[in-house]
Amino acid sequence: MNPWIAIGALAVVGVGIPLGMMAASAILRPSVPEQGKSAIYESGEIPTGTARIQFNIQYYMVALLFVVFDIETVLIFPWTVIYRSALEQGVSLGAVLAPMLVFIGILVVGLVWAWRNGAVKWVKSPRASRRKTERQS
Amino acid sequence: MVPAQWYLMLSAAIFCIGLFGILTRRNALLFLMSVELMLNAANVNFIAFSLQWGNVTGQTFALFTMALAAAEVAIGIGIILVLYRNFRDTDVTKATTMRW
Amino acid sequence: MLLQTQLPQWTALGPALILAITALVLFVIDSVDPDSTDSALLAGVSVVGTLAALGVAAWFLAAGTGQVGTGGEITLFRDALVVDGMSLFFTAIFTSVAAMVFVASYDYLKDRPDQAEFYSLVLLATTGMALLASSNSLATAFISLELTSLPSYALVAYLKRNRGSVEAGLKYFLIGALSSSVFVFGISLVYAVTGSLLFSDVASALGDLDQSFRGVAGIGVLMIAGGFAFKTASVPFHFWAPEAYEGAPAPVSAFLSSASKAAGFAVAFRVFVEAFPIATAVDLGIDWVLAFGILAVVTMTLGNFAAATQENVKRMLAYSSIGHAGYVLIGLAALSAGAATNGDVLGASMAHLLVYGFMNTGAFLFVALVEHWGVGRTFEDYNGLAERAPMACAAMTVFMFSLAGLPPFGGFFSKYFLFASAIGAGFWWLAAFGALNSALSLFYYSRVVKAMWIEESDGSFELTSRPIGLYAAIMVAAVGTLVLLPGFGPVIETAQTVAAALFG
Repeated sequence: MNPWIAIGALAVVGVGIPLGMMAASAILRPSVPEQGKSAIYESGEIPTGTARIQFNIQYYMVALLFVVFDIETVLIFPWTVIYRSALEQGVSLGAVLAPMLVFIGILVVGLVWAWRNGAVKWVKSPRASRRKTERQS
Repeated sequence: MVPAQWYLMLSAAIFCIGLFGILTRRNALLFLMSVELMLNAANVNFIAFSLQWGNVTGQTFALFTMALAAAEVAIGIGIILVLYRNFRDTDVTKATTMRW
Repeated sequence: MLLQTQLPQWTALGPALILAITALVLFVIDSVDPDSTDSALLAGVSVVGTLAALGVAAWFLAAGTGQVGTGGEITLFRDALVVDGMSLFFTAIFTSVAAMVFVASYDYLKDRPDQAEFYSLVLLATTGMALLASSNSLATAFISLELTSLPSYALVAYLKRNRGSVEAGLKYFLIGALSSSVFVFGISLVYAVTGSLLFSDVASALGDLDQSFRGVAGIGVLMIAGGFAFKTASVPFHFWAPEAYEGAPAPVSAFLSSASKAAGFAVAFRVFVEAFPIATAVDLGIDWVLAFGILAVVTMTLGNFAAATQENVKRMLAYSSIGHAGYVLIGLAALSAGAATNGDVLGASMAHLLVYGFMNTGAFLFVALVEHWGVGRTFEDYNGLAERAPMACAAMTVFMFSLAGLPPFGGFFSKYFLFASAIGAGFWWLAAFGALNSALSLFYYSRVVKAMWIEESDGSFELTSRPIGLYAAIMVAAVGTLVLLPGFGPVIETAQTVAAALFG
């Protein structure tokens, strides 16, 4: 049998179940429209303004650091895959660990540098904090 | 197994979509996204042919491509940021203090 | 002889390691005291590190590390990196240019914040170049190409409040990102048909390639050539160069137009000679020699004609840099399968890149000096400059005439050998175009000299300071350009020997 038939069946079932459930509940439930139901849900808070606002640029640095360490794990991954088998085949612990320690060491130098240069320090601009107090009063 | 030509067609299609984006968009951020698309087209090739040839060279290269794509985005957004501060816009055709 | 047996293999990468460690040391220094603007310390550390790398590279080159006489090339990391005469020769070019740029930056960056970042970015880019010259696999070639490019983008946009610098950085980045994605797609196609990234394996796999895949292979090779065209500022990816060189801080322009270009050629030479050998490529219908021949002619003609119409000296130098990329491309264009002249042609190109490294860096650093004084950027603004600063102007005159290829300077010999070797290899038309273009280039180079020495100054500017670092760097470049005239014999001999080893 063509293996694609199984995949196709899986896809049909995967799409069919949620659609079927939604259709069944739409037919069975009573329809009582109410304003509270159509409002935006924000964990109980009353929503203020739209979601399409400009974010503070300082999130950029946080995002950047995240990307760096996110990718770091990607590069560590192949190393972890061969780590155990390399040890079993008699490669010395130092020879297995050293490249990864150098790699992480370089990243640590970079992180310390970014930290010391204020990449993760949250700077409050006077204008933004004034606007915030105005809004609260 | 899926024939190799299909992978090549898929990656070529993704590459061309990216290229189309670069040629038509004027926003620097969209340009960056299109470049990412082109890099990922190459990744499709690497991973597909890693399977075809039965070695992991392609897969590891794909990891490197991803890491470098991230680094490129980091630098690129930094440059687009100073572009916005200087020109109040991310339109790549607005920055013309020097003639082409 | 000595080194290969006495030192462990990995020490062959010494120059690149020294550069990388120096960059990290600068990060540590900046972490300890982020607000410091101690240029002497930062520039000092950078210069010491770069000169150490240069010293090690020169020592290895002299001792014959990785050359035929001492057991051949040293391969490391499962053949991903290779150290041979060519990689050491190019490392020497990169580190000399970087050292001059650092000395000049001491004055150019004085009292600016973010100095440590500048120095460490240049060092990281130089590390990338050193690795690029010794990469033996398309994977290491791509990664080190990016390690060279990414810091360069940031360096071009270094003056972040200057609109020209930011615009230049943006354009450089956009075209660089585009070309690197084209490059990596090309690599993926080559991998698709050969199943390997190592140059030697790629070459042997191409040798017995199924004819039906040759279209894919051809597109892959073409795209890889596109990536190198960007890095070397050759047609068709040249149009970032005038913008980037004009907008960037002048020391960065010097670094990019000399070292970065040489790095692009270093890896292009190795990739095309080793991974896509001429005989195999021609059998598959991928005649890259002819393609580079056409590109060489178009690049040098376009660069020189555009340079002749410029009013801005920095932009003129940028276009002339494109023109020189065209001359160096002769090294790839005048090859033929199995010919004995191949080593001579490629070696002459490498020697030209070395001389170009000195004279072009010097010329851009003179522009940096003039920018430092606040004199304008056009030819008219240079009028009468020689009365105020005869030393620097004499040096600039040396650079200009050397770039044009006039006899008493280093540039004459390198061009002479380049064209002579092209004729020797039977590609007289390349040499003819080169000679015609050189004659044209004399016109615009001499305009600078005429403005400085003959034209009357309008007396509107005062030269307030004599920056020591900039002067020192320019003098080193000038002396280098002059010394390379009597010293050209050993240079061309070394270059042609190590280039011939590539074909062996």
